[in-house]
Amino acid sequence: MSDAQSPTDFDPVEPNTGEDFEPVDVFPDSNDFDLRPGADSCFKCSVCDTNCPVAEVDDDFPGPKFQGPEQWRLKQTDDDYEIDDSVMSCSNCMRCDNACPSGVPLSQMHNTARGEYVENQMSKTDLEYWRNRILSNYRLSASIASKVPRLATWGMNFGPARWLMEKTMGVTKERDFPEFATQTFREWWAERGGADASRRNAQQRREELGLDRDADKKVAYFHGCYSNYNTVDVAKAMVRVYEHYGYEVVAPEQKCSGTPMFANGMLKDARRHAEVNVSSMSDLVDQGYDAIASCTSCSMALRQEYPELFDIDGIEKVSSNTFEAVEYLRIHEDVKEDVQEAQVSGELAEEFAYHAPCHARNQGLERQSVELFRDLEGAGIEDVGESCSGISGTYGWKEEKYAKSMDIGEEMFEHMEHAEGEVGMTECPTCAMQMEHGTGYEIRHPLELLEAAIVE
Amino acid sequence: MGQTPHIAVIGGGSTGIGIARDLAMRGLDVTLVEQGNLTHGTTGRMHGLLHSGGRYAVSDQASATECIEENRVLRDIASHCVEMTGGLFVKRPEDDEEYFQKKLEGCKECGIPAEVISGEEARAMEPHLAKDVDKAISVPDGAIDPFRLVVANAASAEEHGARIETHSKVTDLIIENDEVVGLEVEHASGEGKRIHGKEGGTEEIRADYVVNATGAWAGRIGDMAGVDIAVRPSKGVMTIMNIRQVDTVINRCRPKGDADIVVPHETTAILGTTDEEVEDPEDYPEEGWEVDMMIDTLKELVPMLEEARTIRSFWGVRPLYEPPDVGSDDPTDITRDYFLLDHDERDDLQGMTSIVGGKFTTYRMMGEEISDHVCAKFGIDAECRTADEPLPGSEDFSVLRDYMDEFGLRSPIGRRSVERLGSRADDVLKTSDPNPTVCHCEGVTRAEVQDAIEQSGSDLNAVRIRTRASMGNCQGGFCCSRLASELHGEYDETIAREAWDELLQERWKGQRHALWGEQLSQAALNYALHSTTQNRDNDPADGEPVDFAAFDSGVSAGEASGTADVAADGGTRNGN
Repeated sequence: MSDAQSPTDFDPVEPNTGEDFEPVDVFPDSNDFDLRPGADSCFKCSVCDTNCPVAEVDDDFPGPKFQGPEQWRLKQTDDDYEIDDSVMSCSNCMRCDNACPSGVPLSQMHNTARGEYVENQMSKTDLEYWRNRILSNYRLSASIASKVPRLATWGMNFGPARWLMEKTMGVTKERDFPEFATQTFREWWAERGGADASRRNAQQRREELGLDRDADKKVAYFHGCYSNYNTVDVAKAMVRVYEHYGYEVVAPEQKCSGTPMFANGMLKDARRHAEVNVSSMSDLVDQGYDAIASCTSCSMALRQEYPELFDIDGIEKVSSNTFEAVEYLRIHEDVKEDVQEAQVSGELAEEFAYHAPCHARNQGLERQSVELFRDLEGAGIEDVGESCSGISGTYGWKEEKYAKSMDIGEEMFEHMEHAEGEVGMTECPTCAMQMEHGTGYEIRHPLELLEAAIVE
Repeated sequence: MGQTPHIAVIGGGSTGIGIARDLAMRGLDVTLVEQGNLTHGTTGRMHGLLHSGGRYAVSDQASATECIEENRVLRDIASHCVEMTGGLFVKRPEDDEEYFQKKLEGCKECGIPAEVISGEEARAMEPHLAKDVDKAISVPDGAIDPFRLVVANAASAEEHGARIETHSKVTDLIIENDEVVGLEVEHASGEGKRIHGKEGGTEEIRADYVVNATGAWAGRIGDMAGVDIAVRPSKGVMTIMNIRQVDTVINRCRPKGDADIVVPHETTAILGTTDEEVEDPEDYPEEGWEVDMMIDTLKELVPMLEEARTIRSFWGVRPLYEPPDVGSDDPTDITRDYFLLDHDERDDLQGMTSIVGGKFTTYRMMGEEISDHVCAKFGIDAECRTADEPLPGSEDFSVLRDYMDEFGLRSPIGRRSVERLGSRADDVLKTSDPNPTVCHCEGVTRAEVQDAIEQSGSDLNAVRIRTRASMGNCQGGFCCSRLASELHGEYDETIAREAWDELLQERWKGQRHALWGEQLSQAALNYALHSTTQNRDNDPADGEPVDFAAFDSGVSAGEASGTADVAADGGTRNGN
C-alpha cells in the first residue's frame, strides 16, 4: 500500500505524482491516459479548491477537486463519457499540485482531460478553437512578427486592429502586445559565433578561475520563445552569467515548450513540439549536458508535464536533467557568496518588487531570488506575496477571461504598490506582462540583475 | 375460490421481491415483509455480477443455461440496472489448459456466446491485466446493481397493488389445523414508510398462502412451524476498490478456488470471493486474513490491485441448499440451483412453500416458478409477464443527454444520475429549485436524494441504496451530515439525528476492514472532521431534543460585551 508518504521523502524537485503511480497508456500511440488510479490518493479534503485562484473569482468554476480526481473517478474509459466543459476555465497555474497533501496528480488529470475535451468535443470550426490555437502557438506568430519587428509591434498594438481582434477572435484589447526585439536571441547568438565562441569564452574563464581548462561544465540552453523574440536581454544575461562561471553554452534546435498548448488542450501541437525538444535535448544529455531554462514555465513543462503527458523516447532523461537557470547555479556554484560581495549601480540599482510565478512555486523555487539578492549592495528585493498574478499565459489574453484575470491579480498589484520599489521582478514572461499591465512598472528578470552584479 | 387470494411473502431480497412483483402482476393480493431494508440480507451483499453462465459452464450446466437465458431477459427488462461490461475467463500460464478447453466447450453447450482471445487482445481490452496472461475466453458477463433492481421490482409490485413492509420482522407463523394461515409481524416503526421515532407494534397478517423467501434465514422461519429446512449458509468476502481497475468482468479460468473474480461496479471494482460454511447467517467471524488472501490472489490477474486503495469489505452468506441425501462436505460443491420446498408434500404442513438456493441472476425465473406453483394451488391460470414488461426506470431511455442544458448538471454528474434513474430521470432531475451535488464522490444531487426520501421515509440507508450517496471514496465522510440535513423540513431534528447515526454506523461497518494506506488516512480525516465540526465524538446534545428556542440571538450592539462566564473555546464538559 502506498501509505501516506513520510514528509522526509518529499522532494520538491520531483513531479508531484506519488511514488508508485504509473498512468496506463490505454490506447497505445495515443494521448489517452487512464488516470483513474490517481483518484486513489484523494481524501476529498478540498485544500486544492481553496488554493485555486480561478475558483476564488469564478463562481461557475467547480474547482480542481472536481476537474481532477472526481471527474476521473466518475468517468469511464470504455464509453462515450464526456469531459465537462468547465475544464476550459482552468488556467493551468498548477497550484493544486502543490496544495495537495496527498500527491494526487491534479494538473496531469486536468491537462489530459482538457486534451480529450478539445480533441473529441470542441468543434474544429469554432472561433474559440482557432483563437486558442493561435494563442497557444505564440511561437509561430512571433517568428513571423520578428521578421518585421517594428512593424509588428506597432501593428499588434494598433487600436482598430485590436478592436477587431477582440470582436472577431475574442482576444482582449485591454492588454499591450509585447515588443518584438529587432534582433532575436538566436540571431545574436549566431552572430556572436554560436557554441564555438561560447566554448572559447568558457575555457578562457575557467583559466581565470583557476579551473581545469577542459572541465566538464556544459549546459544546453532552452531559451524558449519569449526570450528569443521579445526579452532578448534575459537570454543574453543567461549566456554571460553561465560563461562567467566557466560553463560552455549550446543553444540547440528547439520549439515551444508546450506550456500554452497544455493550457489550451492542444496536446497534438504540444506533442509535435515536444518531440523536437526531447530529441535534441536528450542527445545533449547523453553527452553530459544539463538542460537549463530561464523561464520557469518552460522548465516546468520539460520536468513535469512532458513525462506526465507523453511517452517519447528519452523524455524521462530530459526531465530529470532539466533545471531552472538560477536554481542550477545555486546548486553548483557559490553564487550566493559572489552576490554578497558584489554591488550594482546604474540602471539596475533599484528596489525590486518580486513576484514568484506559480510554476516556480511548483518547482520549489519561490524564494530563490529573494534569498539570492537580499544582501546585494545597491539593490533591494521584496517578495510581494504568494498570490497568483492571474494571467497564466494565454488565460488572461482571452476576452471572456480578462476581468477574472485582473481580479486574481488584484492582490499582487496591491502588494506591488505597497512595496518600496517601483520596478518589478519575476522569472515568468507572462507574469511580467501582468505585473506591468496592473502597475505600469518596468519588470526585470533575476538573470539580468545577476549579470549586473557579477559579470564585469 | 371467489375472492382474490392473499399471499404473504417473507423476505425482501431479490427472490422475495421477484415473487411479489410476479404475483401482483398476475392479479393476486400480495404483502411482502422484510426484517430490515430491502436487500438487507444476501442480496445487498453480492458482488453485482450478472452471470453469463460461464462460471457454471463446466460444473453445473443446468444453472449455466438458466443464467444465460436470464442474462438476456434482465438486459431487456432491467436495462437501467445493468451495465454490459462483457467478461473474460483469463488463463495464466500455470492454469490448466484442459480446463480452459472444457470451459470453452461448456459455454458452447449451454448456448453462451464464447470466443477465445489472445493475451495481447485481452490486455488491449484491459491494460491492467497481468503481462503473463496467456489467453482468455470472452463471454457476455455484466454488472448489475442489486439495490436498484430490487427497488425497481418493489416499485413495480406496489404499482400492481402489493403492500411492501420493510423493517417488519416475522416473529411467528400462525398455524391452525396443520396449515399456515398468517404471520405475526413486528413493525419497527409502524406500517408504511420507515420513520424514525414512529411507534412500532405487532400485526397479525392473515394470508391464504405464505411464501418463505428468506434465503439463508429460511431455517428460522421453518423452525417457527416446526419444519426442518437445512439451508447451509456459506459466507464469502468481497472487497470494494476505490476505482475500476478493469472495465470488464475478470474471472480466473480454473476449476474452483477462492478469490477468482473482479467485477467493475459503477465507480468501483468488487473483488470476490471465498466460500466457507457458517452456522448462523447473522453471526460469523469477519476476518482480516480473508481480505488479505483475496487481494494477494487476485493480484496475479491484476497486479495493480496490490497497491490500490480499498474502501471497504463486506461478507455475504449464500443460501445454499442441497437435498439431504447428497451430503457434500465442501460448500463449493453444493449446487447453485434453487429448490422449491412445498411443505405440504414434504412435511404435511399446508399453506406454505419455501424457496431456497439459487442465485441473483435467476431471481426472476425463481419468482416465475414459485408464482406458477402458488397460482396452481388456487386454480388460477394467469400468465407470467415479468420477462416482458420492463421495470420502472427501464422503459425506453437514453443516457446521452445534454446534462447542462436539460438539468443544469456537470457532465459526469448528469451522466451518472441519468444512468441511475433511467427513464425516471426527467421526473426527478427537472427541478426549478437549486440542485447542488450532495455526494461528490458518486455525483448525487439533492433532487435525487429528495426523490429517495419521498420513497423511503427517514431511513438514510434506504436513501443510500437508491442513490449511491455515501458509497464513494470518502465513505460518507463528507456527505452523511448533508444527507441528514436533507431530511429537515419533512422530519424534525431528533429523527434526522437518529437517521444520521444509523448511516454513519453502517458506513463504518465496512470501512473497518479497509483501515490501512489511503483509507486509513481517509478515516482519520473523517474522524477529525466529524469530531471537530459536528461534535460526533461526544455530542453534549445527544439524546435530548435540542431546545433551539433557548438559544439567544447573539449579543446585540450596545449590550455589555465580555461577560465573565462566557468561555470562547466552548468551555469544558462541566460547563466551566
